[in-house]
Amino acid sequence: MEMFLQGAAEVLSAPTLLYMLIGSIAGIIAAAIPGFTVTMAIVLTLPLTFAMEPLQGISVMLSVYVGGYTGGLISAALLGIPGTPSAVATTFDAFPMSRNGEPGRALSIGVWASFFGTIISTLVLIVAAPPLAIFAVRLGPWEYFSLIVFALSIVASLVGNSLQRGLIAALIGLAMSTVGTDPILGRPRFDFGLEVLAAGLPFLVVLIGIFAISQLASEVEDARAIQKGEKLVQGEIDFKTWQVMREVVMRPVNLIRSSIVGVLIGALPGAGGSIANLVAYDQAKRASKTPDEFGKGIADGVVASESGNSATAGGGLIPLIALGIPGSAVDAILMASLMVHGISVGPRLIMDNADLVYGMFVAMAVASCMMLVVCIVSMRAFLRVAEVPKWAMVPVVLVCCVVGAFALNNRVTDLYLLGAVGLLGYALRALDYPLAPLVLGVILGPIAETNLRRALMTDADWTLFLTRPVSLLFLIAGLASVAWAVRSHLKGRTQRQAQKEKTP
Amino acid sequence: MSHDGQADRKTESGEIARLLSYAVLLAVSVGLFWEASTIPTSRFEVLGAGAFPMLVHGVLILLLLSAIIGSLRQLPRHAYARFASDFGDWAKARRLVFVLFLCLGLYLSALPIVGYPAATFVFLAVLQLWFAPKTKTAAIIVLFLAIVFSLGLNWLFAEVFNVFLPRGS
Repeated sequence: MEMFLQGAAEVLSAPTLLYMLIGSIAGIIAAAIPGFTVTMAIVLTLPLTFAMEPLQGISVMLSVYVGGYTGGLISAALLGIPGTPSAVATTFDAFPMSRNGEPGRALSIGVWASFFGTIISTLVLIVAAPPLAIFAVRLGPWEYFSLIVFALSIVASLVGNSLQRGLIAALIGLAMSTVGTDPILGRPRFDFGLEVLAAGLPFLVVLIGIFAISQLASEVEDARAIQKGEKLVQGEIDFKTWQVMREVVMRPVNLIRSSIVGVLIGALPGAGGSIANLVAYDQAKRASKTPDEFGKGIADGVVASESGNSATAGGGLIPLIALGIPGSAVDAILMASLMVHGISVGPRLIMDNADLVYGMFVAMAVASCMMLVVCIVSMRAFLRVAEVPKWAMVPVVLVCCVVGAFALNNRVTDLYLLGAVGLLGYALRALDYPLAPLVLGVILGPIAETNLRRALMTDADWTLFLTRPVSLLFLIAGLASVAWAVRSHLKGRTQRQAQKEKTP
Repeated sequence: MSHDGQADRKTESGEIARLLSYAVLLAVSVGLFWEASTIPTSRFEVLGAGAFPMLVHGVLILLLLSAIIGSLRQLPRHAYARFASDFGDWAKARRLVFVLFLCLGLYLSALPIVGYPAATFVFLAVLQLWFAPKTKTAAIIVLFLAIVFSLGLNWLFAEVFNVFLPRGS
């Protein structure tokens, strides 16, 4: 208790709170720009924390982290462009909600869901860090491959109108992920001697191209409307803070389930927020009494995605604190920040530096409160973005996408890739292919391939995927998931056909 | 033509466009499957670098073949004759999209040559003036935004983040 109070006192001191406030604002703004990920924001923050006390520095970085997960929501809801990969599922319902004239409600639901997601994950972190971490590191490549198979089965419920085109899109994504050097032996593949393909297709460039460029292009389809000065989003610019808070709290099952999904996936090294939001969304859709309403602007969809991705912030800290294993790039930077201050990260961290660990728990909770306050105070200003006419907004956001894609690796060739992928994204959108399965394929492809090959390098016996209990469990869950999605898809098609026959 | 007739015609032309996309994807996928099969395997592992891509393209080829058969069965013969004119109408209605991609292509090609500030200024000014209503206020806003997001953003990245956007050759 003494250590807890010591850590809390350090986090709650005036200078730390001020730095955290700045960090929170910076995280929200950075992640709101398409292409600027939470990871980039944290990398830019790291050198600024060198001169600070260890706990102060890590608290600032945690506030950027928590703010960043929420910032991705802003462009997802208002522009239909996920600011970060962790906001992909947020576009499914927050964007239609904005287009239906409720941009304020869409943002507000997302912000509250993020807040509760972070708080729930912090509570889980405090209670369950050591046992969860031990479970997570016991998983071998067999379990990871089966987990990815399960994650890929989510594609079946993201396919939109056509199951066939959804699966084709997912396979295009997986095929795109195989371009460049292979992940095990580093052998070049499918680069055809071109420099632009030699390093592979970075999934963030694909994400920006597929979602952002194609979305921006589709905004200018109606020439007459854009030249008249049509606004990006028409509707009520009202955040409705408390009313929406009640709306989110009235969905406790969805909120807790999505947060737990976020924590569990965040605790698995290598998975993280980019998968958690999709899995949480998928689970919410399956559990819903009105699954057909998902994708049309339902509050449950926004709650699931945002609480799921924000909860990965706490989940990611579980293996870091309990075992010294960073689960994601962001956690690796947090670990580096601790090491810069001479703190050895490992299983003894909680014993040797209990005040620091408890301070991190407090900092997580404070950062989420700060994010909430910043959003409530400034969201009206963010919502003004929706009032900017399309003719001004579309070219400016295009430039932001280009800068974001370039700043990822400082490579000009990534820009050519961005243009090409953007064109492909627009063509696929025009041909009514769902884009989310494609992005999921690009994200999961390398993880699936690496673990499949690693598993068979360790032991050539294929049956291990079925005889290891956790692996088998994931495979059964994947199979059940596909069966459920195919059943509801066929049911929906039969209903549509019956309705068509009824209408004269 | 009735409203239903027009909708059916649009659906059929859309299906022909999709059929073409399946055919293109199939050709690419078959090519990449063959390319993957030529990647040598390693003696250190059961699966080589080509195994996973072959698996992906194999499944993709099967799916595309089934999609092509489905489309061919669904489309009436007379639909093909109308496709060219329907596509022309579709492209004409989306002329600004083509302008946008053309400008984006030129912008991305010019970036490494003339540098970020100049290329971005011209890109923003041209594209926004093309899209904007032809008023004096709009022209002033265009100029302001072009300066802020070309010179301003370049300064912000260089001075605050130490990230240098393309400076030109």
